[in-house]
Amino acid sequence: MSHGPGQAAPDRLSPLLDQRLLPLVSHLVPRPKRPEWTREWQAELWHLRYGEQRDRRRTESVRQVLSLSWGLVADAGWVGLHSLKQEKRGSAQWCLYQLVAACLACGVVELICERSWGSLMHTFAGYFVDRFMLVALPATFVALATMPRTPRKCNRERRHLSGLLPEHTRWTLFLASKVSLSVTLGFLVCVLVSIPVRRVLGHNGDWIDVVLSTVMLTTSLRLSFDDQKQRCQRCLRLLSQPVRVGPPSYNLLNWNGTELVCSEGHGLLQVPEMQGSWCWYDLWVEVDPGWNSALSPES
Amino acid sequence: MILGTLMNSGKLSHTVAIILKALSLGYQFGFDIMEVTGLPSGTVYPALRRLERDGLVSSSWEAEEQALKEQRPARRYYTLTRQGKEAEGAATKRYPLLTRLIPDKWGKTV
Repeated sequence: MSHGPGQAAPDRLSPLLDQRLLPLVSHLVPRPKRPEWTREWQAELWHLRYGEQRDRRRTESVRQVLSLSWGLVADAGWVGLHSLKQEKRGSAQWCLYQLVAACLACGVVELICERSWGSLMHTFAGYFVDRFMLVALPATFVALATMPRTPRKCNRERRHLSGLLPEHTRWTLFLASKVSLSVTLGFLVCVLVSIPVRRVLGHNGDWIDVVLSTVMLTTSLRLSFDDQKQRCQRCLRLLSQPVRVGPPSYNLLNWNGTELVCSEGHGLLQVPEMQGSWCWYDLWVEVDPGWNSALSPES
Repeated sequence: MILGTLMNSGKLSHTVAIILKALSLGYQFGFDIMEVTGLPSGTVYPALRRLERDGLVSSSWEAEEQALKEQRPARRYYTLTRQGKEAEGAATKRYPLLTRLIPDKWGKTV
């Protein structure tokens, strides 16, 4: 496309932006949004090269190109990160990544506090054997023993889900990974808290350690199990958009409770307001693929 | 609702206020806003995306015919939504000097 008559001559540096940097940086933008994003920036860069400039000096050209390069990267990075967050929010992978990141962060802080790997490993081993094990084993046993044996009840036959692992295996693997990471995080947090406590109170801090370990373990196990109940049984994404259904005063006559929807449109979970009997569980309602777009929040 | 949240959470920063003011004065695309506000592209574009996500700004592509007539590629224009106009009003109240900083796109002194 030719530029307008009588306008500023193109710079030597700015072609680098739209010919080299723009195609390179555009890979940060997700594929569906990439053409529109590139088109917008091409139009903007055209304005830089050929458009009317209000207050522009030649000496500022290099600085301007550098600033624009950063702008391109920042914008593409923002779009890419935002899309990734939108896509991954509530997913099983995102949950595990967050737990791993929290564990790593705790580990790094503890390494800084202890100043060497040897000292850190010694602290970990001592804390694990002397204090955490005392609580971890009975707490895990009690948590598993009292965990309600809610079957993954479905209102119809489950549709076959494509993937490497069967649906039930993925469900169990995710739960096991989440529980392991949660317990590890609980352990690391306890150690992190115990370092200053031990420095101040010495062996008198043992009681605090035991109480803290109990609280952390119980909380992490409870959160893991509760989180699992609120997930889609097909894609393991966190269910959203809770909606109350039915008037509670008609409890004896009609079903009432809360419905949660999978944002991918796989189905909905019916959680009764009151458990009618010991075997009255949440019901997972699979929906036909035709309803997927209607249930997704973008619709 | 969003405006209240923005104001309370302190997200209606000076930068956002300047961008909203520029949009209200007729500056409609990224470079236009950058030139009149002096803000770098690394600030303006992500801010525009956030404003669009929060419903304060909407964007649309310029008609191809108009762009062809001016021998340039079509631009993506940003305009204030109703909520954006409310936010811009609140920003002007919060930062009264904004009206002196940015000239009107069409030459009027505000």
